[in-house]
Amino acid sequence: MEDLLWKNSKRASKLVAMTIACVATVWVVLPFLWAIVNSLKTHVDIFRAGAIIPFLQFTPTLDAWKEVLSDPQAFNSLFSSALVGVGTTILVLIIGTPAAYSLARFEFKRMKSKDITLWFLSQRVLPPVVVLTPFYILLAAFGLIDTWTGLILLYSTFNLAFCVVIMRDIFRDVSKEVEEAARIEGASLWQIFWMIALPLSLDGLIVTAFIVFAFSWNEALFASAVTSQHAATMPAFILASRSTRGVDFNFAAVNTILAIAPPVIMSFFVQRYLARGLSFGAVKG
Amino acid sequence: MEAAESVQSKAERGFKYALLAPAVIWVIGLTFFPILAAIHFSFANYVLGEGITGYVGFDNYIRLLTDSGFWYAIFITVLFVGITVPIEVCVGFILAWIITIGLPGKKFFRPVLTAPLFTTEVAIGYLGVTLFTDQGGLVSALLGALGIHIDWLSTSAGGLAAAMILDIWIWTPFVFLMSLAALSAIPNDIYDAAMLESSSHWQVFRHVAIPLSWPVLTIAILLRVIEGLKSFGLPYALTSGGPGTSTQLFSIMADLTTIQFTDFGRGSAMGVLYLILVSVVITFFFKQMRKRIE
Repeated sequence: MEDLLWKNSKRASKLVAMTIACVATVWVVLPFLWAIVNSLKTHVDIFRAGAIIPFLQFTPTLDAWKEVLSDPQAFNSLFSSALVGVGTTILVLIIGTPAAYSLARFEFKRMKSKDITLWFLSQRVLPPVVVLTPFYILLAAFGLIDTWTGLILLYSTFNLAFCVVIMRDIFRDVSKEVEEAARIEGASLWQIFWMIALPLSLDGLIVTAFIVFAFSWNEALFASAVTSQHAATMPAFILASRSTRGVDFNFAAVNTILAIAPPVIMSFFVQRYLARGLSFGAVKG
Repeated sequence: MEAAESVQSKAERGFKYALLAPAVIWVIGLTFFPILAAIHFSFANYVLGEGITGYVGFDNYIRLLTDSGFWYAIFITVLFVGITVPIEVCVGFILAWIITIGLPGKKFFRPVLTAPLFTTEVAIGYLGVTLFTDQGGLVSALLGALGIHIDWLSTSAGGLAAAMILDIWIWTPFVFLMSLAALSAIPNDIYDAAMLESSSHWQVFRHVAIPLSWPVLTIAILLRVIEGLKSFGLPYALTSGGPGTSTQLFSIMADLTTIQFTDFGRGSAMGVLYLILVSVVITFFFKQMRKRIE
C-alpha cells in the first residue's frame, strides 16, 4: 500500500511531504548541533552574537570539556545517574515481571486480572507532587536523603506499575500452546515462566528496561528534592549548576550533552515495541 | 479453559499469588500509604524536625484556595498543556502520515524524528537558556537576522512561550511514534481500496487515516495531558519560575513550597487539591484504557 499511495501521489504533494520531513529534521537537529557548537566555545565567544559556525566564526576549543571532565562533582553525578538508573531498572524488573506474568496467565478470585492491571496503572498516572511531602518525610525518617538507595526506592515505586502493565501485555502474546506443551513434558510453573515465557519476551523486556532506565536517568523533581551532593544525578547537578554557574553556557552545553547522550543513543537501538511500551500496551506495534 | 481453571491445582494458586504479591505490597506500601499520609499532613501544621505540631483543619486548603498565586499556577499549567498538546498532536500525526505513505528515507527519518523524546528535560531547559538568550543565543540570532526581537527570558509571556517551544520539541516525537504504530496497524487493503475510490491523498487522510487512528490518538492525547500537567524540569531549568513567580507551573510551585520553604502542610494540601483537579483527566483516561486492555 505504501508504494501505491506514494506512486499515485502528485509531484507537488511529494514535494510538500519531503519539505515537511526536511524542515522537521532541521528543527530536531538544530538544538543538538547548538549544544555541540557551544561546548566548543571559550567563555568569551559564548556571548558573541556572530559566533555560530566553528572555524569560520570562532576557534573551537576543548577547554569546557576538559573543565567539566576534571570536575569531580560532574563525574560523581554521571556515576550517580548510571547507578541509580541501573539499580532501578533491575529492581523494577525483578519485582514487576513476575507480577506481570501472573496477571497475564491467571485469573484471581476477587478481582479480574484486568482490573488489577488498571489498579497498577492508576498508580503510574498519579502526579508525583502529590506524594512529594510524604516521600521526603519517609526518606528523612530512614536517613535516606541524598543516598542512592533512597532514589532507587523512589524511582522503582514510580516505574513498577509501568513494568507490570507493559510486560503483562507482552506476555499475553506468548503462545499458550508452547507453554502447554512444556507442561505436558513435565516442566514446573516456575520453569515455564523462567525458561519459556521470559526468553520469548526478551524484546519486550529490553524495551521496558530501556524506558525505566530513561525515566530514572531524566527525572528531575525528586532528584533535586531529595539529593544535594552525594547522590545528585545529572538533572539535579544541572539544576544546581544553573544557579551557581548560570552564565557559563559552554559549561552548560557540555553537561547537556553528557546528560542527553546515553538515553538518546540507546533509543536508536530499541525502536521496536517503543510505541507499545510508551502507551502501556494500548498501541500494538 | 473454564474446566482447566476449576481443577486448578494448589501449586498453581500458590505460584500466581507468590508472583503477584511483592508488586502489590510495594504499591500499597509506597503509594497508597503515602497518599493517605499526604491527606493527613494537609490538615496539620508540620515543622521539619519536630513533626506535626498541631492540626489546623481546613486552614491549609482555605489559604491555598484564596491565594491568587495558586490559581495563577493552575492557570498557566492548563494554558501550557492547552497550547502544547494540540500542536504536538497535529504535527506528530502529520509527520507519521508522511512517513507511512512511503516517503523515501524512512529508515533515516524515523529514528531522527524520535530522538528528542528521550532527552533529559532539565538539560534541554538549560540548553534553552543558551538558545533564547539575547547574548549570543541561536534563536535570537536567527530572528535578529529577520529583524525580529523578542524578550524571551525576561518576560513571563516570553519565558512561557520558550518553555512551550521546547516542550513541543521534546514531546511531538511521542505522538509521532504512537501515530506511526496506529497508521501501520491499518490493513493495507483498506488503504488500497480508499486510494482507488478517492482521488486525493487528502481524502484518504481525512476519511481513513484519522478516523481509524482516533482510538490510539485519544490515548496519546490523554497521556500527553497527564504528563504535561506534571511539567517540572524543563520550565524550571529554563526560567527558574521567573521573572518573579510568573512562570511557576504547578509542580514548580509545589516543589518550592515543600522543599525550599519546608511548608509540608501546605505542600501536602497542594498535592491533594491537584490530585482532585487532575482526576477528571485520569478518569477519562481510564475509561479509554479499559476499552484497550484485554
